[in-house]
Amino acid sequence: MNVVATSHSLPPAEPEWVHEGSFHILEQLSKPVHRNLEPVGPHYLAHARRKRHHRTFSEDDR
Amino acid sequence: MSDTEEPQQKTVIGISYGNSNSSIAFTGPDGKAEVFANEEGDRQIPSVLSYVGDEEYHGAQAKSHLVRNPKTTIAYFRDFLGKSFADIDPTNAHASAHPIQHDSGVAFSVEEKAESGLSTLTVSEITTRHLRRLQESAADFMGKPIDGCVITVPTDFSESQRKLLVEASKAGGLEVLQIINEPVAALLAYAAREETSHPADKTILVVDIGGTRTDAAVVASRGGMYTLLATQHDYELGGRQFDDALIDHFSKEFIKKHKTDPRSNERSLAKLRLECENTKKTLSLSTSSQISVESLADGIDFSSSVNRLRFDMLTKKSVDQIVALVESVVKKAELDLMDINEVILAGGSSHTPKIASRINQIFPASTVVQAPSTMPTALNPAELCARGAAIQASLIAEFEAEDIEQSTHPAVTVTPHLAKSLGVVIAAPEGDAGKAEDKVYVFLESETAVPARRTATFVGSKTGGDILIKIVEAKRESVDVTPPKEEKVNGVDDEDEDDDDDDDEEDIKIFKRVTEVERVLAEALLKDVKKGAKIEVMLNVAGDLTLTLTARVVGSQGGVRGTIPGSAL
Ligand SMILES: Nc1ncnc2c1ncn2[C@@H]1O[C@H](COP(=O)(O)OP(=O)(O)OP(=O)(O)O)[C@@H](O)[C@H]1O
Ligand SMILES: [Mg+2]
Repeated sequence: MNVVATSHSLPPAEPEWVHEGSFHILEQLSKPVHRNLEPVGPHYLAHARRKRHHRTFSEDDR
Repeated sequence: MSDTEEPQQKTVIGISYGNSNSSIAFTGPDGKAEVFANEEGDRQIPSVLSYVGDEEYHGAQAKSHLVRNPKTTIAYFRDFLGKSFADIDPTNAHASAHPIQHDSGVAFSVEEKAESGLSTLTVSEITTRHLRRLQESAADFMGKPIDGCVITVPTDFSESQRKLLVEASKAGGLEVLQIINEPVAALLAYAAREETSHPADKTILVVDIGGTRTDAAVVASRGGMYTLLATQHDYELGGRQFDDALIDHFSKEFIKKHKTDPRSNERSLAKLRLECENTKKTLSLSTSSQISVESLADGIDFSSSVNRLRFDMLTKKSVDQIVALVESVVKKAELDLMDINEVILAGGSSHTPKIASRINQIFPASTVVQAPSTMPTALNPAELCARGAAIQASLIAEFEAEDIEQSTHPAVTVTPHLAKSLGVVIAAPEGDAGKAEDKVYVFLESETAVPARRTATFVGSKTGGDILIKIVEAKRESVDVTPPKEEKVNGVDDEDEDDDDDDDEEDIKIFKRVTEVERVLAEALLKDVKKGAKIEVMLNVAGDLTLTLTARVVGSQGGVRGTIPGSAL
């Protein structure tokens, strides 16, 4: 798996965290747009293989 | 790796099939794609067939017959494939065999052999013959028969045109593994050069300036996968317009001296056209060029010269049109010129320095413009499609036909793409007012096909303590970062078309694109992070748009994990 090392820092949790648990959902992702991927190149072929065999990234990693 | 006992590896090639030229490429054992020359030494093989005497000529030889045997020379036929006669523009075939109406669409009527009478050759048949000749050249070069090919076509080639092309190729004994889009092939040619297995996400503009047409495409490249965001075409703009400018220029010169117009005689015009094209090509490399045509008209020889400056003036209108097309396709993709990370210039006419420099001018300095005159490491623009096709051919060479069929089926290609960029809020750098800095680190750009995931590490806070991870949808905004300067009184004569000297730089405003928060989707708390610790964050968006965040301090257990359920698609 590829990890990008950034030099950014993340903000402190201020003011205090008031929600239950440590993950709080506000909204869902925007509706996606359905588009055609160009069936070309090594990365697409890997995508197509995963999709056709119903495999996830992590299963593919192994 | 041992390549001694490779079980009968397939020999496959890439073919770029243009109205003006075609080329063939293969991928060597080192994985590098290379365009090869035919027996005559041409890498750009004119898409022309000529029937003279009992011979069929192909490529450059056939093209030279445009002077003496235009009626039996067939050129500019690719775009006629699968079209009805009423739908074609025959202008380009004016000085060669004329297209005629046929049951199957368009055909040509030529005498194939001396005294044999006219035969009707459909565009499909001509395509078959042309591809067969290319295949023969390839087999000759490789020293073995060709098992299959990938062919590039413009993005506006219809499904039925693609099908006809596959059939035409097959009829000549050449199996087509896949038909792919030209701009994507050009991208692949460049992508293959990068050493990384994780290519950076970019938005790329491909401008293909050929002989008879110019095609532009905005492509999202995300995780090495490509999605066309917008395409636009101009069928009356290409290298021929540049040739025409020289033809007119030299004709006027000839008229002045000899009172006769070489354009009024077909053969004179054909001669002049061929020579002007050569002169034009020379001007891409040198600042001036000679032309000489034996017996141009009325038995009078012609010789003259032209310099690049003059040529640039003569062709300004066409270059303006190319620039306008570029601006228009970016707008069509609902993007700003500043959102284009890279421009790839493809097609033979992209050798023209002025075209590259004018396109370069409208983009910010950070945008890479891949063309011979703006980027010393640029690939040959005329070779990009064939190279890309060869790379794709080698990737799928060993696939079963059914595998290719399934992998290219809409059930697999049609994919949900993120409407908005996804990222996390980052802390403002110390001492910065925060005005022109990114507020969000983007993990997944808009137009990324899902499923997709990205991982990045951050540096924890300066003070230590609890860290907030805000997952947001981000937008890009232009911020005016023009440095303040002494006030100046300005005239009103700006806003004019750019001339070649850029000395009124005072009026140029400098903008920077920065990421801003558009919507906060979720917040996560990472507790008790030590001062300066490294934090690893992963965002994973599943095919149903379920987003999963995983964050942890590098080298420690636990951390935080949360999921935003996917909306119904
Ligand atoms: N070095 C050069 N400088 C300028 N123009 C060039 C150069 N080399 C080739 N060209 C021009 O490029 C054009 C051909 O482009 P290309 O080989 O990409 O053709 P094509 O894709 O078959 O074109 P189309 O389908 O648009 O007719 C011709 O007009 C040719 O004169
Ligand atoms: Mg082309």
